[in-house]
Amino acid sequence: MVMASEDEVSLLVIVVDVNPIWWGQQANREPQFTLSKCLDAVMVMGNSHLVMTRTNKLAIIASHCQESHFLYPCKLWKSGDGHGDDNASTSGDGKYELLSVANDFIAEEIKNLMSRTEVKGNQTDTLLAGSLAKALCYIHRVAKELEAGQEIKSRILVVKAAEDCALQYMNFMNVIFAAQKQSILIDACVLDSDSGLLQQACDITGGLYLKIPQKIALAQYLLWVFLPDSDQRSQLVLPPPVHVDYRAACFCHRNLIEIGYVCSVCLSIFCNFSPICTTCETAFKIPLPQVVKSKKKKLKPST
Amino acid sequence: MTALSEEVLLVVKKVRQRKQDGTLYLMAERIAWGPEGKDRFTVSHLYADIRCQKISPDGKAKIQLQLVLHTGESTNLHFSNESTALKDRDAAKDLLQQLLPKFKKRANKELEEKNRMLQEDPVLFQLYKDLVVCQVISAEEFWANRLSINNVDHSLSNNKQEVGISAAFLADIRPQTDGCNGLRYNLTSDIIESIFRTYPAVKQKYGENVPHDMTEKEFWTRFFQSHYFHRDRINTGLQDIFSECAKQDEKGLKSMVFQGVKNPMVDLLSLEDKSLDEGYGTNSTGPSTSNTNKTVKENSNSAIIKRFNHHSTMVLAAGSGKKADAPNGQACETSSTDGNSRDSDFFQPPIKKVKIQDVIEYEDLHRENGKKTVALNLKKSDRYSHGPVPLLPQQYTTSQDIVNSVNCIKHEIASYRPCLTQVMSSSTASSAIAALSPGGVLMQALAQQAINQMVPNDVQEELKHLYTAAGELLRHFWSCFPVNTPFLEEKVVKMRSNLERFQMTKLRPFQEKVQRQYLSTNLTGHLEDMFQMAYNKFHAWQTRRMMRKT
Repeated sequence: MVMASEDEVSLLVIVVDVNPIWWGQQANREPQFTLSKCLDAVMVMGNSHLVMTRTNKLAIIASHCQESHFLYPCKLWKSGDGHGDDNASTSGDGKYELLSVANDFIAEEIKNLMSRTEVKGNQTDTLLAGSLAKALCYIHRVAKELEAGQEIKSRILVVKAAEDCALQYMNFMNVIFAAQKQSILIDACVLDSDSGLLQQACDITGGLYLKIPQKIALAQYLLWVFLPDSDQRSQLVLPPPVHVDYRAACFCHRNLIEIGYVCSVCLSIFCNFSPICTTCETAFKIPLPQVVKSKKKKLKPST
Repeated sequence: MTALSEEVLLVVKKVRQRKQDGTLYLMAERIAWGPEGKDRFTVSHLYADIRCQKISPDGKAKIQLQLVLHTGESTNLHFSNESTALKDRDAAKDLLQQLLPKFKKRANKELEEKNRMLQEDPVLFQLYKDLVVCQVISAEEFWANRLSINNVDHSLSNNKQEVGISAAFLADIRPQTDGCNGLRYNLTSDIIESIFRTYPAVKQKYGENVPHDMTEKEFWTRFFQSHYFHRDRINTGLQDIFSECAKQDEKGLKSMVFQGVKNPMVDLLSLEDKSLDEGYGTNSTGPSTSNTNKTVKENSNSAIIKRFNHHSTMVLAAGSGKKADAPNGQACETSSTDGNSRDSDFFQPPIKKVKIQDVIEYEDLHRENGKKTVALNLKKSDRYSHGPVPLLPQQYTTSQDIVNSVNCIKHEIASYRPCLTQVMSSSTASSAIAALSPGGVLMQALAQQAINQMVPNDVQEELKHLYTAAGELLRHFWSCFPVNTPFLEEKVVKMRSNLERFQMTKLRPFQEKVQRQYLSTNLTGHLEDMFQMAYNKFHAWQTRRMMRKT
């Protein structure tokens, strides 16, 4: 394995889906795996990443249905600044101080986040696209703040719980293509239902998509599959990529179609031919197949 | 035997072929030899088939002529008439020399073309080898489509460019002394052509005098002897036929000078010294071509310079195709703008502008003209913002559910303490690891290895060749439909048998070879499908045809 040099910084941004409605329902469905357990697993992952190399960086974003909030690093906290109050920092088990401080902050922040959650009926979807956009911005900022001679490699790990939100499609695709342009991998660890958007994201950016069969073993899956970075992954035997359904949906019924009609003016897709495109109102003429006239048979003269 | 309409150009008696006496006949399109006393020709070759002829060297006893055909065969003819053998042989050789080139080009060109195409395109060559050499389809069918395309291109490229005239063509003649006070001039057809193109007057004289009054040789001798050719044209004898040419040239030169040079970028006239008044500059006269007012030396110098200028002008005029003594077109062009150019400095005469434009702009580098665009008029643009996420029935959560869930979570997280030492039990961890190991639940797809890593390279190459050849055959087959003409009917039947033959001779052995190497992958499944589809179509067409007939 190639030793990471002092000059290479590896940044991992974990986007955790903390949709309170889904997790609240999950608490009733599967009491042994609740949001607390999930957060524990994520913390283990984060700690492991920080421990791998001294120059590794971490960020954790909680993706809520009302906001996207940075659990770590916190605005008020800067590494190296002595905090002063020792009650919070020392955890008493001899752990690397950075890790204990980080964990405490994460716990603190999630508590604050959940306590200020207000119940709103129309906002039930996780703001995943927004969280990813914030992650990209953070990566961009860290890349700008590097010291001279340092290089950065970043990736985003999404831990997804709730279902996809169809309204976020355009934003999602923009985020995916922006990540691809910046060579940022997007990995996805899906707990419950398959997400087409994340499958596309992983396929386009070159990350890994995994839907885990056992939620309680989340930490193990995270460490085994998502902890190694992209260079190391080529040396490991990891789950094969998923077949992504790239079929388009027709504009008229939103059915997924394999063969359809495309208007050459506005590029809208239809499943049936119609002489006028309903989006741009262009009229089309398609030559119909020639109607073959049947030849009249000559009656053979009977001899 | 000879057809009655064949024209016999030469008959040579006493010509032996293969130790048999006989007679040689040269006809309009072929050469034939028949033994003595018999009516038939035993040897007959079309001139188109003959690649070249060879003759035995002069010193040898046997006087022979050999005809080499394109196929490589050769026929030896021995001229055995004691007295006239050499003459006969030479007569036959000369006639053949004239006739062969006419027929040669037609046959060779096609073969050469085909060879060239095969050499240039290795894929085509491979296809040719696979299909024609193994006799799956005939060579004519193979070349049927391809040659026609290329012939069109060739006809376009046959428009040759006009060859210009070298300005030094007269000097190239290079007279050589031939020992005794004479000069030998070497005239090639190129030089003669140059002279005719540059000096149309000479051409006219040639047309008038040769071949009625004098031979070509005489004409050219006179030409070079006349002072017209030499540099000092001072003494022009009246008997010289070229004195008229000299007068014509003078006239031509005068008109050219009168025209002047119409270059809007350079005003040559302004370079002359113009006198403002007495004592301020010289008094100049207009350009003159007359030889008065000059000394003898000046005369000869100016004569030479005049000759040079005239010669250069004629060469340029002949090269560009314009006639130097038809100045009407040009004069009209400039006279209309002449007045304008005197008017003001700011108004640029159009010709000048055109010339400048010509020099600074290149057509190819122009940006394409902005085409007329039509604005896109979208009525329902929100359709684009929906992704290919179909409208699935969303889970409906009642507001009560929402409230309950949120409260539940709030309560849970409020008392959250990270307990990282008890994240999971070892059994769950090991089961997760088992699922992730090769053979586990999540790793099933890895079992299928990429085909291209399992199949050896030479098998891949052979498969590629098979696909190219099969594709070519299938293209011929499918292009026959719809079957309208009897020709297509025949072709369809032939193609079907070709396809079968191909399958037998090429595809089956390949399949067996693949199986022998224990490659379980089905490499030829798709090819078989394509063939089956073709057979089905043929069968359907055949049954329909039968039904129509009955």
